[in-house]
Amino acid sequence: MQESILELEDVAIGYGSRLVLGGINFSLQRGSFTGLLGSNGAGKSTLIKTILRIIPPLGGRVTFGETGGRPQVLGYVPQREALDSIFLLSSFEVVLMGACGRVRPGRFFGRVERDWAHHCLRETGTDDLSRRPFAQLSGGQRQRVLIARALATRPDLLLLDEPTAGIDAAATQAVMDLLRRLHQEQHLTILMVNHDLAAVRKSVEQVIWLHQGQVLFGPVGELLSREKIEEIMELELD
Amino acid sequence: MDTLREILDPHFLLRNSVYVSLLVGFACPAIGIFLILRRLIFMGVALPQISSTGIAFAFSLPALGLISHTHFAHFAGDERLLAFVGGLGFTIAALLLLAFLERRGRGLVEGRVGTMYVLAGAWSILLLVKNPMGERGLLDLLRGEIIAVPDPELWLTLLSFGFVGLSLFLFQKEFLLVSFDPEMAVTLKKNVLAWDLFLFVLIGLTISVAVLSVGPLVTFGFLLIPPLTARLVARNMRQFSLLACSLGGGAALLGFAIAYRLDYPVGPTDVALLGFLYGAAFLGKHGLDWFGRRFAGK
Repeated sequence: MQESILELEDVAIGYGSRLVLGGINFSLQRGSFTGLLGSNGAGKSTLIKTILRIIPPLGGRVTFGETGGRPQVLGYVPQREALDSIFLLSSFEVVLMGACGRVRPGRFFGRVERDWAHHCLRETGTDDLSRRPFAQLSGGQRQRVLIARALATRPDLLLLDEPTAGIDAAATQAVMDLLRRLHQEQHLTILMVNHDLAAVRKSVEQVIWLHQGQVLFGPVGELLSREKIEEIMELELD
Repeated sequence: MDTLREILDPHFLLRNSVYVSLLVGFACPAIGIFLILRRLIFMGVALPQISSTGIAFAFSLPALGLISHTHFAHFAGDERLLAFVGGLGFTIAALLLLAFLERRGRGLVEGRVGTMYVLAGAWSILLLVKNPMGERGLLDLLRGEIIAVPDPELWLTLLSFGFVGLSLFLFQKEFLLVSFDPEMAVTLKKNVLAWDLFLFVLIGLTISVAVLSVGPLVTFGFLLIPPLTARLVARNMRQFSLLACSLGGGAALLGFAIAYRLDYPVGPTDVALLGFLYGAAFLGKHGLDWFGRRFAGK
């Protein structure tokens, strides 16, 4: 039996007293690759932020498994528009931020953390961008640098909020190839919000679909079959 | 050069004023960088004004009947300390109030900051008009006259800015992380609220001490103009910080020399010089870009 890395029991999510979605139940197995789908306003980003503890849940329980007796480390790739370009940070400096959780306040980044940041840049194919200002990178390049930053946290679970939104087809392909490779080679557990059904179908193993206040959870072959999509969306596909 | 040599002489009569100008010139841009990075420029305008209202309030305690004239006379030697406490108290209170209102997420931030600025300006004047203590020096302070700086005030400035500088140096990565990506900071189990409060206390302390020494106009000038100028030419955060502080320190020294030579008030001279440097950097950068494009076109 596979080990559970994340479990949500009857979780309700929202902001303040405003409920966005309730009755959320699912569990992610270690090493799984899950897509989180839903229309605008369905609560995808709110759910990701609740799992990340950025927003407290309005009800229910979010439980994380343990790795060797230590709490799970969460790697987060936010929507890239959330980061202000006024900061004069190089790609390397952005990636190095991922190591902040391991370096105590008042201490400086040592050789080990710097080498690890360079390793993460190489893993994502962005080592040639390490000196470039983060604000001047293209959408796809920024996304790969942000994935490198999430890897720099040495995560047990990687959560991505729309990593392919607003980038061209080639960059989308590069990002999805990278995520597939990280999942296959490092057995990284990934939960990814994505609008792109085709990209999700090609990469993930299971899907969480937030639709009209319901949470559907199942294997990709079942939930993203033509018949199921027609049923969920109440439409006919040519 | 003779003027510079004269004002840097250890026996120069106004040496404390030179040292305080230099300290403000180096420290304010270091903290102003965070006001710019967090897009809180309006706060950089309002907080010095609020701090000066706190100073005016402290000096008005006897006139308001909150402290007896006898007690105030007893503390007369420490009146600057009282003013420092008043300025710091008002600044921190304003910062906490603004932070609380921002977390509630209602209304316009600019509206709140603008209202605070106007109210602080009005109350500074109202507190001063009926206050004999105010006439003794506060109006000079508000005008940015940096003439007589007693030794204890120099030490207060040095210790306060030393603490601020050391904190910024030691906790730079935490302040940058919570400013750049607070959500990421939460996922790394950083206490974002505590780090934000610590940064706000450093901002409040710097502004209160600077306003007490050089007044709100000069404080505002040094908080924002050197970082804005440095932002035009810097390529990374290290260059940004070093350039902003160097510009601030350099302008403070040069401004003092010009003001001393031409018998101008130091504060407005400093700010005018900073404005000139900003204009020169802006024109230089955009002029070079224009020539570059024109040359590349041919």
